[in-house]
Amino acid sequence: MSTVAQYVLSGLAIGGIYALVALGFHIMWSAARAVNFAHGDTLMIGGLLAAYLVASGWPLALACALAILVGGLFGFVLERLAVRPFAHQPNSIGWMLTTIAVGIMVESYATIETQGYALPLPSPGVAGSVQILGAGLYPQELAIPVLALAAMLGLQALQRHTLIGRAMQAVAHNKNAAALMGINVDLVVAFSFSLASLLGAAAGVLIAPVVQASATMGLLPGLKGFAVAIMGGITSAPGVVITGLAYGVIEKFVEGYVSTAAREIVGFSLMIVVLLAFPQGLFGKREVAKV
Amino acid sequence: MSRLYAIGFLALAAVLVAVPLASDNEYELRLFMLFLIYAIIAVGLNVLIGLAGLVSLGQAGLFALGSYTGAITTTRLGFDMVGAGLTAAIVAGLFGALLAYPTVRVRGVYLAVVTIAFGLIVENVAIEWQSLTGGTTGITSIPSPNVFGLRLSGYAYYGVLAVSLFLLVAAAHNLKGSRYGRGLLAVAQSETAARALGLDPTALRTLAFVIASVTAGVAGTYYAFLNSYISPDIFTFTDSIRFLLMVILGGAASTFGPVIGAYILTYLPEYLQEFAVWQKFAYGALLLVVMFVLPRGIMGSLGALRSRLRPAARAIAATDGIDARTTLAREASEQQAELVARDLTVRFGGLTALSEASLRVKPGEVHALIGPNGAGKSTFINTISGFYRPTAGAFELDGIQLTGMASHEIARAGLARTFQNTELFGEMTVLENVMIGGQQRLRYGVLASILRTPAMRREEAHCRQAAIGLLAFVGLEGYAYEEARFLPFGLQRRLEIARALAANPRLLLLDEPAAGLTTQEIDDLEAMIRRVADLGISVLLIEHHVELIMAVADTVTVLDYGQVIASDTPAAVQADPRVIEAYFGTSGATHAPAEVPA
Repeated sequence: MSTVAQYVLSGLAIGGIYALVALGFHIMWSAARAVNFAHGDTLMIGGLLAAYLVASGWPLALACALAILVGGLFGFVLERLAVRPFAHQPNSIGWMLTTIAVGIMVESYATIETQGYALPLPSPGVAGSVQILGAGLYPQELAIPVLALAAMLGLQALQRHTLIGRAMQAVAHNKNAAALMGINVDLVVAFSFSLASLLGAAAGVLIAPVVQASATMGLLPGLKGFAVAIMGGITSAPGVVITGLAYGVIEKFVEGYVSTAAREIVGFSLMIVVLLAFPQGLFGKREVAKV
Repeated sequence: MSRLYAIGFLALAAVLVAVPLASDNEYELRLFMLFLIYAIIAVGLNVLIGLAGLVSLGQAGLFALGSYTGAITTTRLGFDMVGAGLTAAIVAGLFGALLAYPTVRVRGVYLAVVTIAFGLIVENVAIEWQSLTGGTTGITSIPSPNVFGLRLSGYAYYGVLAVSLFLLVAAAHNLKGSRYGRGLLAVAQSETAARALGLDPTALRTLAFVIASVTAGVAGTYYAFLNSYISPDIFTFTDSIRFLLMVILGGAASTFGPVIGAYILTYLPEYLQEFAVWQKFAYGALLLVVMFVLPRGIMGSLGALRSRLRPAARAIAATDGIDARTTLAREASEQQAELVARDLTVRFGGLTALSEASLRVKPGEVHALIGPNGAGKSTFINTISGFYRPTAGAFELDGIQLTGMASHEIARAGLARTFQNTELFGEMTVLENVMIGGQQRLRYGVLASILRTPAMRREEAHCRQAAIGLLAFVGLEGYAYEEARFLPFGLQRRLEIARALAANPRLLLLDEPAAGLTTQEIDDLEAMIRRVADLGISVLLIEHHVELIMAVADTVTVLDYGQVIASDTPAAVQADPRVIEAYFGTSGATHAPAEVPA
């Protein structure tokens, strides 16, 4: 029983990270039909920068806030410099390669700066563990899935009740029509990339106390976050969040009962199977091509 | 142009022969052999990137897969190089198909993610599955290359690699000039138009990825034999990026670009030793710089420069073509096409765009579908061409059920269409656009493309002549070698009609062909529709321009709020009170607004 509870709860924790990353992919895709392939590095920027600032004496809250803001800025700048110049091209090679290039540069720069070492990010959330149903967890881990759900609900509230949120939905639905209605599409896209990156950097700050911050900490969550977005249906915010949480739990069970290598193989095969059975993802809607 | 390619191939052959003669020591030769292996990967990857417009970030994974397959079959099963290479090709090809098919069916972008994940998994499996792969220590003592029991010396093995590369470059070049290459380029530029012309984007993209996988797999086996030792750490994500960079730097879609890119990126690290930790950063920076400064790569930029200095002739002599009346003519016995749609209903969420609409295009007639904005005309045409799925109802062409078929299957059944907002393959020439229309009538296979068999050349020549004839039919022979996106709008519309006709359809759907045309152009269009109808092709015309409809239509069907309200001869429809009401309204009439996207 306690093993099962352990796997479920720590699965939800890592799943919450995937959910936050996937939510970012959903936001970017909706706005621009393009994403930032360096999104995993946004997570790394958030986690690593927070750890650096705390190590150099900043108060924790301030360090985290600044790290998240810098992550958001990274997304904003990247959209402007690497995505927008290629957004009008019929195939997606342009923005894919430029964002990947920036990702490589950021990651290898971080590797050089940290010399490959991981940095701790002390947080009250990992000061002591709590027992639930015989499973031992950090309070931090419990908070992550809750925050992921909160982010999803927050996004929905934003889309329903604010002007920029409604503009995001309009752009997602039809970019040209939105532009004709006086919506500044470029601005909405920039906002969406920034928002996605804020969420990504926040995920990095949240997970850093648990796994330690390192230059490569964003690689797997970035990749799995995208896999989750594909499986959940990149057009559905609740879909990707639920899938993210479920993916984390499944991962923990495979890891616990089989092995770490099996974890990646099973997770990946799952993605292929889901794509075969549900081309639009589990919760995604088919995008009707208007011709 | 073909003379330039001949010179290029001669130069490549000369380099491949000269290098072993000129190399002073074994290290130099070995490094050059490594370059040959990388070039093989790059040339294969170029089919995916340059033609299909897709990106793989997992070529190192496929390379590793081929390497391990080769090494394991050799050391465990005692295969020779041919057996090992073939096994590696099959294994890599199977994995390629397995990865690509589910992925590219949905969105091309997904392939990048799936391949990154695949690369990581191969690396993981190579480390964990110790009993098979030797774990982190890898596989040692791979025998030296041998073919049918003969041991190859260093120079003989060099010969194998050099000949492999040369043949692969030639094969890829031939593929580019075949229906597969054209189809891939078309799909990358407008998937919608490609589908409407009977091309299957999923199949083509999967084929491109399988080609890239097989070449990476074979290259992997070559690598195992060259190194006689493999371990997981030589197949990392950075290598995948490097392979990608070879293609982009050299020039995607060009014949020799990937070879040049591979050369630069094999020798560059030799000079960048002092960069050490910054090497990976440098790859990222180089990729970024190339994307902004040389987006077409070295060969692509040279090609663009050349065509600016010596612009090619635009026009083509119509006498080179076969008269369209010959290619489009039907057997007298052949029945003319009849389209029947019964009770078609299409709902988008709560919105009923089309409500139990029935329509019959009689064999050989020009049938006009009209209606106010939002009446459901476009929904109708998009449904019968397979872009929307009807919620209820059925439609058939000559008794063949088309309901539920994909667009490209419907196109192959004999239905061709044009688009309201023209959907041309903008970066291809006018002639190529029309030739893609004629693609589905070509029968030769991949192997024939690669070998350029006489049968393949005959079919290609015929397709080209037919396309020239069609250009003459619509009066575009003067623009044959112009890129389609540079045509003025009126001519783009004509090109779309020529392209649709190239598919030799039995029913032609014209979606608002007169929109945006001048009066003179509309007169030309009217004449053209008549000529098409005279060839025995049934026409379904969606149009707002009343004079055009009255002039050419045999039957007019009127849609309003998704329902058919009249279907009769033009004169009768014109006098129908319900039609008049739909267009002009009656005093006091209050319709519930049910606007439908046009």
